[in-house]
Amino acid sequence: MDQILEVKGLCRDYGKGSITHAVDHVDLSVEKGEFVGIMGPSGSGKTTLLNCIATIDRPTGGSIRVEGQEITGLKPKALAKFRRERLGFVFQDCNLLDTLTAFENIALALTIRGTPAGQVEGLVRETAGLLEIGDCLNKYPYQMSGGQQQRTAAARAIVTRPALILADEPTGALDSKASRLLLDRFEALNTQLAATILMVTHDAFTASYCHRILFLRDGAVFTQLERGTLSRRDFFRRIMDVVATLGGDQSDVL
Amino acid sequence: MFSKLAVKNVGRSFRDYGVYFLTVAFGVCLFYVFNALETQTVLQYLSGNQRQDLVDSIMRLIGMLSVFVWVVLAFLILYASGFLVRRRSRELGTYLLLGMERRQVAGLLLAETAFTALTALAVGLALGVVLSQALSVFTAGLFAVPQTAFRFSVSVPALVRTALAFVGIFLLVMVCHTLSLFRKRLIDLLRANRTNQELKARSLGASVALFLVGCALLGVAYAMLLIRGMLRVDALFWVMIGLGSLGTLLFFRGLSGFLLRLCQGSKKLYYKGLNLFILRQFNAGINTTYRSMTVICLMLLLAIGITATSVGLNNTVERMTEEAQPWSVELTVWPEEEGQAMDLPAALAERGFDPDRWCGPWAAFPLCRDSQGEFGLREADYAALESAWGTERAQAFLKHQGAEVLPNDDGGAYTAVLWHFLADYAGDPQGAEEAFLAAVSDLTNTGGYSYSTKQAAWMDLMGTKVLVLFIGLYLGVVFLVASAAVLALQQLSQAADSAGRYQILSRLGVSERDRGRSVDVQVFLAFFLPLALALIHAVVGMTAANEIIAQVGRVDVGASGAVTALLLVAVYGGYFLATCWGSRRMLRASA
Repeated sequence: MDQILEVKGLCRDYGKGSITHAVDHVDLSVEKGEFVGIMGPSGSGKTTLLNCIATIDRPTGGSIRVEGQEITGLKPKALAKFRRERLGFVFQDCNLLDTLTAFENIALALTIRGTPAGQVEGLVRETAGLLEIGDCLNKYPYQMSGGQQQRTAAARAIVTRPALILADEPTGALDSKASRLLLDRFEALNTQLAATILMVTHDAFTASYCHRILFLRDGAVFTQLERGTLSRRDFFRRIMDVVATLGGDQSDVL
Repeated sequence: MFSKLAVKNVGRSFRDYGVYFLTVAFGVCLFYVFNALETQTVLQYLSGNQRQDLVDSIMRLIGMLSVFVWVVLAFLILYASGFLVRRRSRELGTYLLLGMERRQVAGLLLAETAFTALTALAVGLALGVVLSQALSVFTAGLFAVPQTAFRFSVSVPALVRTALAFVGIFLLVMVCHTLSLFRKRLIDLLRANRTNQELKARSLGASVALFLVGCALLGVAYAMLLIRGMLRVDALFWVMIGLGSLGTLLFFRGLSGFLLRLCQGSKKLYYKGLNLFILRQFNAGINTTYRSMTVICLMLLLAIGITATSVGLNNTVERMTEEAQPWSVELTVWPEEEGQAMDLPAALAERGFDPDRWCGPWAAFPLCRDSQGEFGLREADYAALESAWGTERAQAFLKHQGAEVLPNDDGGAYTAVLWHFLADYAGDPQGAEEAFLAAVSDLTNTGGYSYSTKQAAWMDLMGTKVLVLFIGLYLGVVFLVASAAVLALQQLSQAADSAGRYQILSRLGVSERDRGRSVDVQVFLAFFLPLALALIHAVVGMTAANEIIAQVGRVDVGASGAVTALLLVAVYGGYFLATCWGSRRMLRASA
């Protein structure tokens, strides 16, 4: 299989003098069509890791390759191009533009890439259908529920068919029903469109939708968990075990 | 207690305070220059030449206009400081959250405002003194006033008046802020950045109808103006002004409703790059700001109209006087009895004004009635006049007096009705004028007389020029600055509100260049939509005004157009560029 993302020895330090290693020599590789989760307690560096991959933050060491292209040293202009052509984002605070309708929010991702105007409408409607938001395309974000907003953000992320979708706590602000719906859609994107998804979460239920989970602690990889042929329920239990170990270790320290 | 924090706050938010500071300083500077008009060389020259009455009336008019300008500046500064407080409401909310009392926060705000205001006042006054001085030299040259040695003069009354006026404004600002701070709830302060702009949905048909009605009203107002002219101030005049203003309002309201739909109609345009974002941004703004667009459009119209008219009028007035007063001195005497012979040159020489000493060409002659009752000038006297000043001026004199050349062969049947003395000074005109005035004032026992001198006419003219030009340009600049500053602040506050949106755009992979371009387009639309309509208004208005001016003299369209354009480019263009730069900076910092 093709390798979409390859992270090697990634470091992100903060401060001078007494340095904090937010991300400390992390290795990670994601293959095409994978649905990978990153878990860990607060302060474990999972969001920093994601921000580095998303080119929002700059790592202090190591390398990140997306489809073989090294992205750590890119110039601002090349970075912007890389972001709009290769990446899709879904964030906890959903990041929809409040002046635009759902349709326009999704369409904007296409127009800034220079997609021909004639194709925009078809692509948006097709993607919206996949995420089951076809009936609220003409609404403004503040007229939609949180779940609909998140699925709109997901549609915006996927409509450009990016190499990699990055999701940071996408279910963080949703109730359990909306979470389930969003995750079902993520799964559908993953299976039907072979979308590659990298998702950060601290919620075990959300993580149980992934194929593989990377556990971080204090900026370093603690362990990895593969779902394999396990049912989601069994996988969820395995995850809970690891979370308990993570927490247990911490209480030992205390 | 909080003075240290206050000073630090001002330093930290210097960028936000920058626009406010500039606006206040510029306002102070203009206000001082206007009020310190008496120190101007031109006015001192006028008052030094027995034209104290003129100077007094100018100063009275300036006093009245100052009140008007004060009101405009007060609104402007209130608006500018409101923008600042809104920008910082989150910070103020944090102070409250940390347990500071409202009284203390209000005190902090007061200290900051006072600190900025006093600095701006000082800077503005210093600028004003310098500008006033420069203006004095410049206008003295413009009005051809003989300049004595350069004197540095500061008008203390103007300083005091300016300081008082602005301290008054600052007190007003402080009261308003304190009140609003005490009224606001903490949650509103903390969440100020998150409140959405309301997007009113309006049907397309209604918008188009409003726009068309607006255009129709404007058309009616234009037609009235062009047909009726400008000077008939009656009930219909105010109807016309009302129609124009309402038309402008409906124009912008309608435009705000359907501009977006119009662009959405063209998919090629709408789905290209950031276009849909820019249009939405602009639309969100215009829905709430079409009223301010109307006000700005009308203010711009005033600025353009006043500036252009005053410059045009100034040049016309000058030419008119040149034609009306061709001689250095013109004395007319009515003898007590018709037919009485007079020797005006001798009479003047006797009283200390010897024409041969003071004058170049001169002539003294009677205007007579002949035996048929024809009124005119004897042929010999006309020949003398013609030889002294040429045919053109001699003819002009005849036309002006309504006289004809009477044939010389009518024997002694002439009756002298009026005696004329015409002369051009030679050498020292100042001395000649004084000698003439002294001599003429002693002429009482010879009957009725009237005189006009070129210098007196110049003084009158100069008074009018100073009045028209100074006040016109001043008001023009004030309106221009006011509208540009309001627009700048509005755009900057919109940029501040949009910071989050630009951050999202950055994450979506929109390059910095494209984001900057999007900001520029928005600022451009906000600045140049009102300007475009104001220019159309102004062209129609100037056409009407020029018709009136053209009745009394030739209109100098070139000069007035050039001066107005220069002012527009300098002030409005300057504010436009500064706003683009400021908005870009604000958004770059947030992305």
